Amino acid sequence: MSNLDMTPGQRHTVMGNQAICRGALEAGVRVVAGYPGTPSSEIIENLARAADEYGLYVEWSVNEKVSLEVAAAGSLAGMRSLCAMKQNGVNVASDFLLHLAGSGVRAGMVLVHCDDPGALSSVNEGESRHFARMLELPQLEPGDFQEAKDMTKWAFELSEELGQVVMLRSVTRLSHASGGVVAGPLPQGEAKARFEHHGTLLDTNRGPVSSAPVSVKHARQQEKLARAVELFEQSPFNTYQGPEEPELLVITSSICQLYVKEALAMLDAAGRVGVLKLGTTWPLPPKLIQKNLQRCGRIMVVEEVIPFLEENLKILAAEMAAEVGPKEFLAKREGYIPSTGELNPDLVAEALARALDIQYQPRPAEYAALAQAAAPSTDSPRELAFCPGCPHRASFWSLKNALALDGRDGFICGDIGCYAMGARPSNYGILKTLHAMGSGTGLASGFGQLGRFGMDQPVMAVSGDSTFYHAVIPALINAVHQRSPMSLVVLDNSGTAMTGFQPHPGTQNNAMGQPVPPVDLEAVCRTLGAEVTVCDPFDLEATREAALKMLADQSKAKVLILRQLCALSPERKGKKLYDVQVDPDKCLGGQCGCNRFCTRAFGCPGLTWERETGRASIDEVICAGCGVCASVCPAGAITKTERG
Amino acid sequence: MNTRGPRQLLSEVQQAGLCVGCGSCVELCPYFRSHGGKTVMLHDCDLSEGRCHAWCPKTELDLESLAQALWGEAYAPAGVGPCLSVAAAQAGPALGEGVYQGGGVVSALAAAALELGMVDGVVLTGGEALEPTPIVARNLAEIKACTGSKFAAAPTLAALNRTQAAGGERLGVVATPCQGAALAQRGLKPVNQEAPTNPADLVLGLFCNWALDPRGLAAFLASRVELKRIRSMDIPPPPAGVLVVRTDHETLEIPLDEIRGLVPPGCAICPDMTSEWADLSVGMFEGRPGWNTLIVRSEKGRDLAEAALERGWLVLEEMPKSNWEHLDGAAQGKRLRGLRAANQQGLLGTADDPEPKALRVGAQLMAQIEKATGEEA
Repeated sequence: MSNLDMTPGQRHTVMGNQAICRGALEAGVRVVAGYPGTPSSEIIENLARAADEYGLYVEWSVNEKVSLEVAAAGSLAGMRSLCAMKQNGVNVASDFLLHLAGSGVRAGMVLVHCDDPGALSSVNEGESRHFARMLELPQLEPGDFQEAKDMTKWAFELSEELGQVVMLRSVTRLSHASGGVVAGPLPQGEAKARFEHHGTLLDTNRGPVSSAPVSVKHARQQEKLARAVELFEQSPFNTYQGPEEPELLVITSSICQLYVKEALAMLDAAGRVGVLKLGTTWPLPPKLIQKNLQRCGRIMVVEEVIPFLEENLKILAAEMAAEVGPKEFLAKREGYIPSTGELNPDLVAEALARALDIQYQPRPAEYAALAQAAAPSTDSPRELAFCPGCPHRASFWSLKNALALDGRDGFICGDIGCYAMGARPSNYGILKTLHAMGSGTGLASGFGQLGRFGMDQPVMAVSGDSTFYHAVIPALINAVHQRSPMSLVVLDNSGTAMTGFQPHPGTQNNAMGQPVPPVDLEAVCRTLGAEVTVCDPFDLEATREAALKMLADQSKAKVLILRQLCALSPERKGKKLYDVQVDPDKCLGGQCGCNRFCTRAFGCPGLTWERETGRASIDEVICAGCGVCASVCPAGAITKTERG
Repeated sequence: MNTRGPRQLLSEVQQAGLCVGCGSCVELCPYFRSHGGKTVMLHDCDLSEGRCHAWCPKTELDLESLAQALWGEAYAPAGVGPCLSVAAAQAGPALGEGVYQGGGVVSALAAAALELGMVDGVVLTGGEALEPTPIVARNLAEIKACTGSKFAAAPTLAALNRTQAAGGERLGVVATPCQGAALAQRGLKPVNQEAPTNPADLVLGLFCNWALDPRGLAAFLASRVELKRIRSMDIPPPPAGVLVVRTDHETLEIPLDEIRGLVPPGCAICPDMTSEWADLSVGMFEGRPGWNTLIVRSEKGRDLAEAALERGWLVLEEMPKSNWEHLDGAAQGKRLRGLRAANQQGLLGTADDPEPKALRVGAQLMAQIEKATGEEA
């Protein structure tokens, strides 16, 4: 049973990402690929679980570019295919996407890209809609859960009609929230894959597939966009609601349309404002836009992060100025809508109130006072810390010690994964750079070369195992080849832990649960010519010594693999390795010689400082039983007993 | 004599460049460790008072209080400090064959102390010439494995701290003057818990003019020899003025002027050449290779020297007056140089100076020291 099983004609409450999956199933999707990344991960996960039942091929690819290539292969062989990734995944995939846009596709192919305005689960709030304009591809944006399902299904049809990839954008609040969706029927019948390639290069359906000859293919690509515009003019996903001649026209898309509806209700202003909700946001259908711009002179554009719709609308408004007259825009550039962070009904209501000259206070003062009074006063601000038993804490503890002992003010370049939290003070603030997947190793490769300019700080990079396969390998090859004196520490917790333990090339099962040969991380590094050391990060001394040795060797690139299962991994979760106890008679507490070393310096949440007794203790409920704190205690007061 | 915490130790000593890497603060707690000759604070400790600060020989070293506490007498403004006797010395037949720096007297005294049961172990500096590491020797063979001067500052006291934490053993320490001072501070400044009133059961002091920063020395030597091949290093008595480095196949003489820049700034403010806070002090004997100078300072030291002589660990001869005077002058020279350097750097205070100071000497005593030096000269 899959959670995509729904009864046609009936309403189900589903998550946005589930709705997208159901739409793909209703479109008869066959080939699905992606790389994990919040908020997109559940799309591949749900389809992977449904793979057997619905006869799909689903994979977690090594990275987003490869996932797009895998999905494209399906399409070129006549299988409807879907590719899913988070916003910055589109950056990774964009090189292939540029060329695929030039060559076109055959069976319907949809790229679902989930943006994360407000960077709730990201280190960026990149806006991936701009790729649609830059690479000349059609862009769709569902505005609610039903649309998420319906537009996904339609996206495949559109893709097939155009012979082009269609981009479908979700955002965190659509992907991860739940709402009502009426299911549709599933298609019947078998599909047979075959790649036709005996025709000429210009034969779209039977020839070899390439973006060359560019002069012909690029022109065709633009014809496809022109056809998309014709279809978008009639699209039921573009709707207008409100008076025929409103005081203000709001143009919006995506989940923002719900914020607008809610804000208008809050302001009781629905009778004064017209709302043009666009589902097809690139290219914009000019006739539809012209018709709506003629409704009034003041236009507010409600969208998140940078002004994509706004700028495109302003261009159209300028082009049709003779017909629609001058317009006053009230959007980001005019300071009505913020250009960073998520929107919400309050922010939209504030903008609308200002535009409509309504007195409005998003949160009345008495409510704020009541809320404060109701909040428990003992709550203290909580830092993001690694879980109890997390191997990353042990790893970073030893790396911190090694860097301090080395004493040359060395530093670590961070990367993307749970371990990115190593940049936070609660996790020793040990990571000093943090960018894109694989960038830590690339940066370290570069820093390593600066000794010739007098830089005497040693440099390390960290990478998770999944990140290693995704984008670190080329950077490591570079470091080895350029003989950069850097050290790469692979924090191998045996899964894509941050996004929910998706398999990766180093694991023994694929997305569909079938056994696959794991790619040996250690052997890969050795083959690349790096000196490799493997350590258990729970062995603090061995890890520290290995790291110190690597820091001392300034002659080449080296790899230290710190291998230990994530405490939340399905194999480890709930199973304690040790029973851990504190002997209060031995505990030095706040005295000179300790000064609450375990709770204050090491900082595992499984350790508790007992204010009354002035001693540390183990929180049995939280402790994951890794036993590392026993090695940290200076007084031997923490003991660990192996569990049978 | 104010005791402060680890953060102040970091700012007043490590960051001020005064740390000589003696190891006094190392392994008392999990915060301070030593690596490659450098003492580092691994994690922040916010205690307002700590043994690390209290015992550091580069903080609050109050010479007068220390002399009163340790010897029950005033700090001597001239000479080599407390002295029951002084002699030319050499290891006796009991020590057996071996390669020793000078006369082998330190090894002989350490071995004698073990044999006599005065101590259960002696903390020594072992390891390679460029990577000195502290060890606790519990028999003659282990002592012999540590012979040879290192010239690089070693965190010897870290081994004492580590072993004392385990408890139960009486330990002797072979200490440089800074380490001797650190040990003397322990009796004087209990912190936050019952003070170890007997910080070491025997202190064998070494004469010392300065040490070298091991990392700097390694980097310096790396450009001249293959570091792995270095077998020993020696600074022969004046007027040689060179560091002799012996490798497997060559002997290198490096003028001392070339390596003076590698002396930690903390050594420049040291007023002690002859390890004045030790039970016995041992140094080179000028003009007589194979012999040491031995100063007996405490009654415990005298007992050891006498027993060692009786049991064949030591051979003693009277020290000629000219040597004695020369040693006195050299010791006084370093005392004055150290105090003046500290004064110039604002690191010298009187007992009641409220500001943090590395060294404390009353104005009256300082005047006596200046005067005594004038007379010597």
